[in-house]
Amino acid sequence: MNTDWLPDSVAKLLGRLVDASAGERLAVSVAAVVASVLLGGVVTFVSGLFAECATPTFGPSCYNPLSVYYYLFLSPLTSSFSLSIMAEQTSLLLFTGLAVAVSFRAGLFNIGTQGQLVLGGLAAALTAVALGPVLPDGAIGGAIIATVAMLAGAIVGGLFAAIPGALKAYFDANEVITTIMLNFVAADVAFFLVSTYFQKPGSGSIETRDVPEAATFSPVVALLMGLVLVAATTYLLWGTSFGYDLRTAGLQTEAAEYAGVDAKRMVVASMTLSGAIGGAGGAVWVLMAVGRWVTGVPPLGFDGITVSVLASNNPLGVLLAGPLFGTMSAGSLSIDFQLGVPRQLVGVIRGLVILFVAMPEFFRMLGARWGLGGGVQ
Amino acid sequence: MSAPAVELRRITKQFPGVLANDEVDLTVERGSVHALLGENGAGKTTLMNVLYGLYRPTSGTVVIDGHERVFDSPRDAIDAGIGMIHQHFMLVEPMTVTQNVVLGNEPRKWGGLAIDRQRARKEVSELAESYGFDVNPTAAVEDISVGEQQRVEILKALYRGADTLILDEPTAVLTPQEIEELFAVFEELTDAGKTIIFITHKLSEATGAADEVTVLRDGKNVGSVTADDVTGEELAELMVGREVLFDVERPPVETGNVGLAVRDLVVDDERGVRAVDGVEFSVAEGEVLGIAGVDGNGQSELIEAVTGIRSPAAGRVYLGNSEITHRSRRQRIESGMAYVPEDRQARGLVMSYDLVENGLLGSQHDGTFAPGGRIDWSGTEAHAADIIDEYDVRPPETGATAKSLSGGNQQKFIVGREFNRDPEAVVAAHPTRGVDVGSVEFIHEQLLGLRETGTAVLLVSSKLDEVRSLSDRLAVMHDGELMAVVNPDEVTEEQLGLLMAGERPAELPTVAAPETEVET
Repeated sequence: MNTDWLPDSVAKLLGRLVDASAGERLAVSVAAVVASVLLGGVVTFVSGLFAECATPTFGPSCYNPLSVYYYLFLSPLTSSFSLSIMAEQTSLLLFTGLAVAVSFRAGLFNIGTQGQLVLGGLAAALTAVALGPVLPDGAIGGAIIATVAMLAGAIVGGLFAAIPGALKAYFDANEVITTIMLNFVAADVAFFLVSTYFQKPGSGSIETRDVPEAATFSPVVALLMGLVLVAATTYLLWGTSFGYDLRTAGLQTEAAEYAGVDAKRMVVASMTLSGAIGGAGGAVWVLMAVGRWVTGVPPLGFDGITVSVLASNNPLGVLLAGPLFGTMSAGSLSIDFQLGVPRQLVGVIRGLVILFVAMPEFFRMLGARWGLGGGVQ
Repeated sequence: MSAPAVELRRITKQFPGVLANDEVDLTVERGSVHALLGENGAGKTTLMNVLYGLYRPTSGTVVIDGHERVFDSPRDAIDAGIGMIHQHFMLVEPMTVTQNVVLGNEPRKWGGLAIDRQRARKEVSELAESYGFDVNPTAAVEDISVGEQQRVEILKALYRGADTLILDEPTAVLTPQEIEELFAVFEELTDAGKTIIFITHKLSEATGAADEVTVLRDGKNVGSVTADDVTGEELAELMVGREVLFDVERPPVETGNVGLAVRDLVVDDERGVRAVDGVEFSVAEGEVLGIAGVDGNGQSELIEAVTGIRSPAAGRVYLGNSEITHRSRRQRIESGMAYVPEDRQARGLVMSYDLVENGLLGSQHDGTFAPGGRIDWSGTEAHAADIIDEYDVRPPETGATAKSLSGGNQQKFIVGREFNRDPEAVVAAHPTRGVDVGSVEFIHEQLLGLRETGTAVLLVSSKLDEVRSLSDRLAVMHDGELMAVVNPDEVTEEQLGLLMAGERPAELPTVAAPETEVET
């Protein structure tokens, strides 16, 4: 592609970014976090000058940037409560981040992880509720219920994602549009099913009955599942013929065709896989975080997109981006009531971190698309 | 005598693991045409990128007009009067010729606030006229031919004040007619005192268009000679480092059963237009069937239907004695069909994969490399290393990405991968396109080696001498049909020309297929 209009220095910089090694990219990300903290600190300080408070906490400013960042990054590590919220968020983001990464690797922009998670979670909740009276109470019964519920979540999430996959493969319908639309379908279908058939008696909100206590698990268990999933996804993508087909199809359709990859089946298969991981994430949300399915599912599927982009769609990168997100989610909860810093400002500060970390990756993708870098000729 | 326009002194460029240029000296006199000749990966482009300020040399000096220079970026090189025209044009297609030429250096009016379009158009027309260039300054670049686009690139460099023009493989994208025109442009430019350096791996261009020829081999200058004093054979030997055989020996081979055949094949292109209309042929085991023709007469669609990339509208395809018309691409690979595709960068390689992963392309479900669906990476790497070694792919690193290789080396890797499949049948489209003479010879030997071991080879090439020297029988394709199947040793160039134009000359030395009918 034509990059003649770029100043040479910019083209050179982009090319260098494209050629950067994994270690260099990690260093860039760390530098980006530091830079965002510096800028966000200034923003916090200046905002504090205009806020009203009894006694300024940081020079003339009402907001202390040091404490804000302490709460954002470090406080989640200090109390067991926030540590568990952090583990909870991190494990869920591992699932949704991986779900998105798998589809992006296949060259498919699955924006529907949220919907797949909502329906997968519902399937898991209903399965667990239904199995509760059948199986014995206790650890073994609970483990069986949890396993079957996770499977149900993965199957329903996978099937639901197979719809936009098939539409793309056989009717050439753009998956970005169909998956976004199906997010609304998923939310409404779930709402209708629960409110009409599976409503918890006597409850004011739209929710299912509670899953059996024995089938629930702690955030630590969920985190372990996430780690196993990271390893499994990495192996699947780089260690198997299927993963090779998937990545090839995602990078160069014509080369995949040449190599004997059935493009249509690969689209359906990779969407199904992505949806299954998202659906399993929904099951984890039900079994670990809430103990039932309830409306107002947090936007974990959408956060998964950001996590995956931050990780340049690499499962091992998700392992870094997930905790970063999880920590900030847990930390920002306490800033509001501990420091009196408004939620909106915390949002700005979090946004800066994400922006700073994502931009080098973004420019790297841009540079690669423009054919810059590539080292020796 | 005035100082040379360009003098490179002991230029060394070291990349991680690769010594691209090794103490190269190069002197280019003002007003001359200098050809930089060498095999793919010999370091020609790297050397010119050093001169153009894209790379900083590891050691050595650049002297322009007798003054030593250090270039940090192409901007510095342009300021010193160096212009470079890359192999892939850097033009904004929807913009006009004038806009492209002045881009970045637009004449201003209103104190620099606005672009003076009138002056720009006038300056560009005058510039074009003064060198006798036939380009319309108001035409959009996307509407003009490739040859004209190249002239726009040259104008752009001249407009920026270039005295020395570097052209990287300028003929690669041109038709023979356009190549003639380009060389005429070279003369206009040198008459006006400009200096030209062009990169090529074609001997005839070096001897025909240049005054001086410098040959690079393995990053070293192995000789600078006056073009008039040297023969093609001598240059080839300098380039390759040994004697090159231009004539291919095609020993007689006992042909076997039918290896590959099509019957009544009809194929439509992506717009639904009939591209192949009732083609029939069979290739015996141990036989090379060549298909000649002007590009775009259905050869691509024919090959894609045979290899399973495209479904035919009607007709049947056979591999050995089994019909494979409805078999998938993957099944065809598994039944032993190797395929060197036409478009190596879109189909033949995944550009961001390294050579290990590219060596696996097409074999990723093969039990040898992926038993039980799990890839054996060490076996795969050894496989890639074998191809690199055997086919002399440079740089010889399995970890190099496909896009970091030059076009010729990409082609060698693909050919190596496909020929090493131990195939029943090979479909090769332009197997030596963009490859240097030494490697062309090697690829031809390998192809004939397959023929000797009883492989059926279907060869499509736009190089007439290639199809003529390699084929046992030569079919000529015109407008989706096979005009005739002729004996390549007896047919004349004129007869082939007429056939390719769709006319059937008298007394054609036609040949019948070997005595092996396919069971239909």
